[in-house]
Amino acid sequence: MLLDVKNLAVSYGKNPKPTIEGVTFDLDDGEILAIVGESGSGKTTVIRAILNVLPGGGHVSSGEMTFDGQNLLTLDEKGWRNLRGEKISMIFQDSGNMMNPVHTIGKQFVEYIRVHSDLDKKSAWEMAIDKLELMNLPNPETILNSYTFELSGGMRQRVGIAMAITFQPKLLLADEPTSALDVTTQAQIVGELMFITRGANASMIIVTHNLGVASYISDKLIVMSGGKVVESGKTQEIIQNPQHEYTKTLLASVPEIGGRRYV
Amino acid sequence: MSEIIMRVENLTKKFPVSGGKFLTACDNISFDVRKGETVGIVGESGCGKTTLLKSIMNMQRPTSGKIIFHGEDITKLTGEAKRQNYRHIQMVFQDPTAAFNPKMKIRDIICEPLINFDLISSREVDSKARELLTQVELPADFVDRYPNNMSGGQRQRVAIARALALEPEIIACDEATSALDVSVQDTIIKLLVKLQREKGITYIFICHDMALVSLFSHRIAVMYLGNMMEKIDGDKLDSAKHPYTKALLKAVFSTDQEKNQYIGILPGEIPSPLDIPTGCPFQNRCEYCQDLCKQKKPDLREVEPNHFVACHYKCN
Repeated sequence: MLLDVKNLAVSYGKNPKPTIEGVTFDLDDGEILAIVGESGSGKTTVIRAILNVLPGGGHVSSGEMTFDGQNLLTLDEKGWRNLRGEKISMIFQDSGNMMNPVHTIGKQFVEYIRVHSDLDKKSAWEMAIDKLELMNLPNPETILNSYTFELSGGMRQRVGIAMAITFQPKLLLADEPTSALDVTTQAQIVGELMFITRGANASMIIVTHNLGVASYISDKLIVMSGGKVVESGKTQEIIQNPQHEYTKTLLASVPEIGGRRYV
Repeated sequence: MSEIIMRVENLTKKFPVSGGKFLTACDNISFDVRKGETVGIVGESGCGKTTLLKSIMNMQRPTSGKIIFHGEDITKLTGEAKRQNYRHIQMVFQDPTAAFNPKMKIRDIICEPLINFDLISSREVDSKARELLTQVELPADFVDRYPNNMSGGQRQRVAIARALALEPEIIACDEATSALDVSVQDTIIKLLVKLQREKGITYIFICHDMALVSLFSHRIAVMYLGNMMEKIDGDKLDSAKHPYTKALLKAVFSTDQEKNQYIGILPGEIPSPLDIPTGCPFQNRCEYCQDLCKQKKPDLREVEPNHFVACHYKCN
């Protein structure tokens, strides 16, 4: 088992009421897990807790998390540095926002590679080019010499994914990776994410509000509402035969081509 | 079929950019809007949907072309006549948080358009606001709230109430449900449909969600790089002919895994609107591209009654 989360609860600041509680799931090598739910249901908090990057005074208040035999809750800062970016990495909703707009993409990519390895600048640059090519980005040299705002949303997202997979992490955490994109670009990126994780036998947790994407990409599904898991299990079983009322409502409100028309 | 209340004819909007060049945001767009119907406009970002809507709203003057509404070309209106025209076409925005002044109470937000047009006195504001809130299925007590005390779905209902206040004939919705969760989206769309049936309102609905547009629109217009590629009835979307429309439909993920087998990926990216190729705008991503497509831009032609396609390949 790659990741085992038991009864996870996260609180923010001194607020005694946890934002999420009782979150339990596990993930094997090569499995893709999707977390769906509405805004404010705590989806993002779950994956941020796994990487210990909770914002603004957020902390795990109870529960257990084990990754690859390692207890994540007792890790020190040095342990986290070894884990983040190399074994677990994260893809954000808009990868352009996580980068510095006044430095070129190449400078930041090379810096990222060199923090996590002993490569010199030249080989780090070549490694960056390799990774961009893997994401089907044309003219990787030009992209490395560009600033984030010079790229389209889809290209920025591919750069973000290229960075996240640089060290072939065992676990990818993707936070709404396609929500800011057009449908055609979304289909491209979802296809690429699936190809990469399956190809490297890596695992992925994808947070999304798009149930179609979740259904397409994931093996397992967690449905969250109000900070609690209301339903979890195999994706297709849940989608074909939802048990919880909330899941039923959610599935019924997804617009489908050829579905019941409103007019 | 009901009467045509608005007719957009050969609308073109160009923006000047540096170097003496022009960015063509809308190129020769024509379509009719019928009373009590919903026209859905779909396309990727940068295809000119919002520019088209701004022209319809009379917020900007098109470079050429006409918009006929109530028998006159509204793009030529000026001064008081232009202002009076705003009464008939109202708008609901994408982000309901940014659409309101946070320091105004809901009562004043909803009734501001009525005050602007001197239709009610300040004494009537409270009762009118309560009436409008009831129409959008919100508790009448919400008149005393501020926008930040409400959820996104409730705020979008307030935005709809404000658009309804002037009893417009057309409501233009620019991605009105994109910022909402799916279950909230469902309730908002149901509300829009109910209001349409009761009052005969016409919607111009801009959206990038193909599935939602197909379920909500009577007519669908597909745009790409400022050009109209296909016009089709909402319930006949299955028989769409244009390769771009088909690609959009194939890119939609479904919860039904059987439909997901047919997910197709449209390669490449939308070209820069500053650098539109001669010939068909879709040529570099189209699997059917022939020599003719690179030389001559296809016209929008009626292939079946009420079904228009702009494609050399699919029209022959």
